[in-house]
Amino acid sequence: MILQINFKSGMPIYLQVVDQIKVAAASGALRPGEVLPSIRPLAEELRVNRNTIAKAYSELESLGVIETLPGRGCFLKENHTALRKEVRRKLLTVEIDQAIVQAHHLQVRRDEFLALIHERMDALDRKRRTHEHHQEDDQS
Amino acid sequence: MSSPSPAIQIENLSYAYGRAEAVHDLTLTVQPGRCYGLFGRNGAGKTTTMKCLLHLLRPQRGQVRMFGLDPARHEVEVKRRLAYVPDQVAFYPWMSVRETLDYLASFRAHWNRKTEQELLDRFQLDPAQRTGSLSRGQRTQVALIAAVCPETELLVLDEPTSGLDPIVRREFIETVIGAYQEGNPGQRTILVSTHLITEFEGLIDQFTIIDHGVAVLSLDSDQARERYQKIRARFAQSPPELDLRAALRVRRNGRELELIANGGGAELLERLRQHNPEMLSTESLTLEEIFVATLKS
Repeated sequence: MILQINFKSGMPIYLQVVDQIKVAAASGALRPGEVLPSIRPLAEELRVNRNTIAKAYSELESLGVIETLPGRGCFLKENHTALRKEVRRKLLTVEIDQAIVQAHHLQVRRDEFLALIHERMDALDRKRRTHEHHQEDDQS
Repeated sequence: MSSPSPAIQIENLSYAYGRAEAVHDLTLTVQPGRCYGLFGRNGAGKTTTMKCLLHLLRPQRGQVRMFGLDPARHEVEVKRRLAYVPDQVAFYPWMSVRETLDYLASFRAHWNRKTEQELLDRFQLDPAQRTGSLSRGQRTQVALIAAVCPETELLVLDEPTSGLDPIVRREFIETVIGAYQEGNPGQRTILVSTHLITEFEGLIDQFTIIDHGVAVLSLDSDQARERYQKIRARFAQSPPELDLRAALRVRRNGRELELIANGGGAELLERLRQHNPEMLSTESLTLEEIFVATLKS
């Protein structure tokens, strides 16, 4: 899991850390039971205030995403599935909203936009299937 | 000792060298545990302000309080509780690094030997080398070690990284975050004056921009980045005539518009959107961009 702070996003730094760890948890980059970097090395690496990372971690803890085991560090909680779906949807909402705004600027109508989404989903599905076939071919 | 007083309190401070006023009516407060940036161009009054805090200069008007104390009346108590890295570091050139650190440690009630060794290793400094033959970067590193090891509740940094190479600058900031802040999390206060803002961006959680001795902007860093936005729009034809007085700055180039908003970004975006731009984007300004935008407008 590699975090990256973007000072141009307008989002408070601690929230960027919170969101990125949620993404890592939802995407599998961070697995339940896996240890998170401790506060000091992460703060040094990102060159952000130590208190900012501490704030992000305590927020994640109060959300039930991570737990602190004294003397052992912070871990991703085993059962955060309920949150996982909600977080995934929320993350997707941000991206979708951006695409909708962009569609509006480019004067792409609602039905065109929805059709385009279906088209892209189909295209990516096809691509994935071809890819899987290739893998099977490689294995056989 | 836990005290509710601010680590630093400056009220209506003014200071002039002869007739040249260096600081005019400056007021700011730094709460314990915060990292506070004092941003200004060369000669803006940053160092004069710092010297008043350290009782190297006596305020001509207004007052300063350190941990709630008057640095003129409680000089020893105040200096015991802070460490300072000046912009020009000077040591006795005939002393070795080892002797210099021992000499500086002798003024302190407390000195963390373990941290000292860790930092000597990290910076790859030779304890036997005379300070007179150190590079500028190495002298700053020794000064930083001497400032971190007493584990004081306040660290004052005056233009600490100017004139240093990028690697030394990075290490400097990592050390402040790691070795200094880790000691007593949430209680270590930092005041840093600099015009090299980018590298301190993630560390600073509150700042004041001073220009010609006057505070022109004081904000929380996250709030500042939320408030200051750069909006870009491109239109199919030349941009429509719009009321853009709310913008701090407007740049036009053919069919393109670039605005800097200081608050009110959402309304400006909406106003632009009504004219169906081909492209519309927005991003926050970094602290350095805010600094430039503030001083140029």
